[in-house]
Amino acid sequence: MAFDAAGDYPLGTRRPDLVRTPGGLAVDELTLDALRAGQLNGSEMRATAETLRLQAEVARAAGRPELAANLGRAAELTAVPDEVILEIYTGLRPHRSTSGELEQLAERLEREFGAALTAAFVREAKEVYATRKLLGPDERAAPV
Amino acid sequence: MSEQRRSRRFVEREQRELRRELLITPFPELGLVAMNGPNDPEPALEVRDGRVVALDGRSEDEFDALDHFIARHGMDVEIAAEAMAIDDVELARRLVDVEVSREVLVRLARGLTPARLARVVALLDPVEMMFALKKLRARRAPANQAHVTNLKENPALLAADAAEAAARGFAEIETTVGVSRYAPFNAMAVLVGSQTGRPGVLTQCAIEERRSLQLAIQGITTYAETLSVYGTEPVFVDGDDTPWSKAFLNSAYASRGIKVRFTSGGGSEALMGHAGGCSMLYLEARCLSLVRAAGSQGVQNGSISCVALVMSVPAGGREILAENLLAAWLDLEVASGNDAIASHSPIRRTAKLMGQFLPGTDFVTSGWSVMPRYDNMFGGGNYDADDIDEWLTIQRDWQVDGGRSSFRRSPTQRSRRQRTGSTAATCPIATEPRTSSPPIVCSPRASADSTSRVSSTGAGSPTWPKRSSVCNASASPRTTCRRRRSSTRRVR
Repeated sequence: MAFDAAGDYPLGTRRPDLVRTPGGLAVDELTLDALRAGQLNGSEMRATAETLRLQAEVARAAGRPELAANLGRAAELTAVPDEVILEIYTGLRPHRSTSGELEQLAERLEREFGAALTAAFVREAKEVYATRKLLGPDERAAPV
Repeated sequence: MSEQRRSRRFVEREQRELRRELLITPFPELGLVAMNGPNDPEPALEVRDGRVVALDGRSEDEFDALDHFIARHGMDVEIAAEAMAIDDVELARRLVDVEVSREVLVRLARGLTPARLARVVALLDPVEMMFALKKLRARRAPANQAHVTNLKENPALLAADAAEAAARGFAEIETTVGVSRYAPFNAMAVLVGSQTGRPGVLTQCAIEERRSLQLAIQGITTYAETLSVYGTEPVFVDGDDTPWSKAFLNSAYASRGIKVRFTSGGGSEALMGHAGGCSMLYLEARCLSLVRAAGSQGVQNGSISCVALVMSVPAGGREILAENLLAAWLDLEVASGNDAIASHSPIRRTAKLMGQFLPGTDFVTSGWSVMPRYDNMFGGGNYDADDIDEWLTIQRDWQVDGGRSSFRRSPTQRSRRQRTGSTAATCPIATEPRTSSPPIVCSPRASADSTSRVSSTGAGSPTWPKRSSVCNASASPRTTCRRRRSSTRRVR
């Protein structure tokens, strides 16, 4: 059955057939018995890129394009390991990164994780940080 | 005048709670003005080839980081031409026109600049604001958020209180820490307690941003709300973030399936000394435009922890209601404050509450202490356990849904006992000091049974055993490390 972004929300109750865990389990397989039997762990209790993209479609259909864009970036980030997420966040905080370091983060997001939307977002930050003197110590005083 | 000649009435009145408060005259240069500040910019928007090139008195080369972010992600330039052409009074009338739907208003807000948004809601009187807020609420019915903490940070008591909060109808539960290393334990206790109280309740632990993200990644929390934003660039950077770092965090949480709500609130910029001479409402409108631009589904606002400062200036209470209304107009789910102490005066506190209570916001309080006041680690709240019956009675008086439900005494006690019992059963860290898991309740004599008993009959932490702070603090990194390793293991 085709996905109806305007009517199939919440996915978990209206379209459970479309929701899977990262390991491919269906929603009704997430049970306490499965947990006791050792068939489940924390990494299964997570959203997948596919689910988040469906959520983005729902948001767009509801007239919330910014929320949809956020969920689009989130879908990309499902492939990014926890440590790298924390590294990128730290890099985006004020006065942490040089423009070269932000560019490296963007390239890595594209190359290793195919995260084009998030990479563009980091590059946009790089551009604004340069004009607002928000880059790392070495470049804080650099001419625009 | 000598004491003998003064009216006794005046002397006695001086002892009232209200006299402990400071009421000041506006000082716009310091941002100490609620709304319609003399230095607020004139609303303006200029779009060239689909790009915002001027926003509220600043051209692109004068934009600060917030302007850049709002201009790129937060303005619908197609709707803007239509929306910005409607005059202030007409927009204000539509907000209170019963024939104009939420959908139509939310669409128009997508094309309005922060200065415009602030100016329009400032035209409404409090009753009009309440009506508009009721019309614009995102959730079908109002709800509330609970605070669950205790002075001893005892996890079994946290679980019992979380269970009670869930059973009383709270939709979200927030905890925090006294000792930062306890964060994973406290978050786990509240998670287990809440789910046994009523499945589906969301939980969070308010701590530093990076640590909060770690807990969410590990699956110990299910929502986050500490994504604080501010209305001027210097304060934003003082908070050690930028619009891009916050928006990235938002996506990062969502990638792990965590619900996110940003936090903002009037008065924070003035309190931190960089309001840029602008009014609280205008700066909050900037925050809210930014929050929506970052793709957040909701916001906690209504001054929040700066409430005492906002209430000290004229129109403070009205400004706070205007903030909540603006958030709803921008299609954001609103957790509308009423958590930090708004006033020492119970009358003034309740009067302030009615702005959110009568229309019924998405979360009327964004933190009601389910415990007695002494156990509230959020610095003491506006309302706590002893006020629960008052809330229910006010709901009864007005026949208004304030998001709270009542039940008889015995199920409450049973609920608490069950929850602590189940915490002990499912969460060995709570009562099993001899296993390899870190011991939390220090006394090995504190059995699951006695813990359950004290949880259902005690009032708060004084009757509870102390925890062993040294071994708990050293166990915290072990807990997080172990969980992190297991979370990278694949199933099958």
